[in-house]
Amino acid sequence: MNARKLISALVCATSIALPMAAAYAQQQTLVVNSWGGAYEKLHRKLVFEPFEKANNVKIQVVTVYSADTLAQLRAQKSAPQYDVVHFSGGQEVVAAREGLLAPIKPEELKNAADLYPFAAAGMARGEGPAHLVTAMGLLYNEKKVPRAPTSWKDLWSKDYGDHLVLIDLSNSYGMLGFLMMNQVWGGSLDDTAPGLTKVRELLDRSVVISSTPEVQQNFAQNDAWIAPFSQDYGHIIRQGGQPVKFVPGSEGTPAIYFTANLVANRPNQELAKKLIDFELSPEVQAEFAREMRYSPTNRKTVLDAATAADVVTGDAVASLVRFDPVKLESIRLDLIEKWKKLIAR
Amino acid sequence: MRNAMSNRRDDVILLSPGLLLLVLGFLVPAATILVLGVQDPEGGFTLGYLARFLGDPHYLAIAWRTIKLSLLITLICALAGFPLAYVMARAGARLRLWLIICITLPLMTSVVVRTFGWMVLLGRGGLVPDVLHSLGFVRRNFTLMHTETAIVVGMAQVLFPFMVLSILGVIMKIDWRIEEACRVMGCSLLQTVRRVVLPLSLPGVVAGSLLVFTLSCSYFVTPALLGGARLPVVAGSIYETATKTLDWPFAAAQSIVLLVGVMLLLIPYVRLSRRHHG
Repeated sequence: MNARKLISALVCATSIALPMAAAYAQQQTLVVNSWGGAYEKLHRKLVFEPFEKANNVKIQVVTVYSADTLAQLRAQKSAPQYDVVHFSGGQEVVAAREGLLAPIKPEELKNAADLYPFAAAGMARGEGPAHLVTAMGLLYNEKKVPRAPTSWKDLWSKDYGDHLVLIDLSNSYGMLGFLMMNQVWGGSLDDTAPGLTKVRELLDRSVVISSTPEVQQNFAQNDAWIAPFSQDYGHIIRQGGQPVKFVPGSEGTPAIYFTANLVANRPNQELAKKLIDFELSPEVQAEFAREMRYSPTNRKTVLDAATAADVVTGDAVASLVRFDPVKLESIRLDLIEKWKKLIAR
Repeated sequence: MRNAMSNRRDDVILLSPGLLLLVLGFLVPAATILVLGVQDPEGGFTLGYLARFLGDPHYLAIAWRTIKLSLLITLICALAGFPLAYVMARAGARLRLWLIICITLPLMTSVVVRTFGWMVLLGRGGLVPDVLHSLGFVRRNFTLMHTETAIVVGMAQVLFPFMVLSILGVIMKIDWRIEEACRVMGCSLLQTVRRVVLPLSLPGVVAGSLLVFTLSCSYFVTPALLGGARLPVVAGSIYETATKTLDWPFAAAQSIVLLVGVMLLLIPYVRLSRRHHG
């Protein structure tokens, strides 16, 4: 355990120290994290590059996933190296409790007043605002299904035969989908038995997969008709040529929140807040929605018709379901083991 | 005396690079991991993690599946590998070379790529279910994916070369005049193979079986892709525990079970075959 901490500390020390040293020039620098891949490419194009130009600032992007970013923040508590950190797994709740984040007052951000209440709710607890959301609902093959699904309970409908795809709980989308199924059958984070019992009924007519790309593969090759998954990935599958549509379940829409957080004890907080504010702007959010089908959190964001048809927007965004990240973390291991025992043949 | 001393020194010098690699690259990291499995958070000794595995029907079922499938894979490889190795050994040098190339060619592509090939062949609408459907054996949506059959088929294909090459090496060393003598004495070909070649090549079969069995016990890519989440094997369970739930002590405990289990199965096997055949 200690060795692992040491290694991660070394890794982050080198990954931060090098760019920092290089940029120790006249220009101001902000250090931020992004998550790599297509997302980071878009993040740079829509947020970092325009912001650098407009404010004559250098933004140093470090590619680190949410969980590792939190680990780095903890390791750097006495000498933090990031100005703004982005989380997608609810890590901001933990980070704020541990005093790693600096609270932002809504009046300090121009766009805060236009956010849906859920996106700004965390700010009162010292967390950063949510700038994007990806909603979980049902993906279905519109050419194959006898009728389009409308609710989470439709997963139990015999209409879809044995063409179901379920996602393993070791996958974070799978976890979110399961928690919602559990909720519609009367369960909660304290009681996951209803969900597990109901999923047992589905096992004989579904394929259980563990990695995200397998969702697309099952729609493409394995005659899958319906799967609980996210709207952005539904868009990717559709781009890949499958007639797959996303629909939110009528009982509610769990979502993954992308938050932008201000790190405590850093010198450039004014500039960092400006960057966070920029990420909340309707223009940036509209582009994220158009390119990757993320739902905006700013109610003034205007979407074109094609995008609006694919993402959860408007009032629906305001009624998203969120499971308490701290509580979830405390039951996660136990729940995954129960799930593994349930699905094992 | 001097001579013997310097010989020993030479031996040490020759041995040291390999030994160093073994200690640094295998023994130290493996021991570090295994120790995690019997250490409680305060650093004391505990059997708690091992007890969690051995006391839980779920994990015992996973262990049983691993042993059962590995035995089956080994058996299939041996049954199919022995005749092929015999033909290869007795064929002309040119044909043998081509057969060796054919056998080893799959080893040169990644296991993941080969496994994806099987996924296409065995999945819904793939070649195998399609043929079975047109022959009227199965319903239209039949699939072999995510079945134990798929794991066995995929693993046997991956591990087959190890068995064939092990047996081939031994048969090549058997003096073929013994077989001639056998035929002259009136044995048929099959009798010759059964009474002379098979007993003499048993060390190769044993070595191949050991290799195939231990490898199939510790493979996780192929079972994970072809068997899916619902048919876990021990190696896959270790991988999931270490990377997904980050429960390293329990992953280490499962590794101990795997290591000890393989050894317990193998030691009597080696003893037995050695007693019978020098």
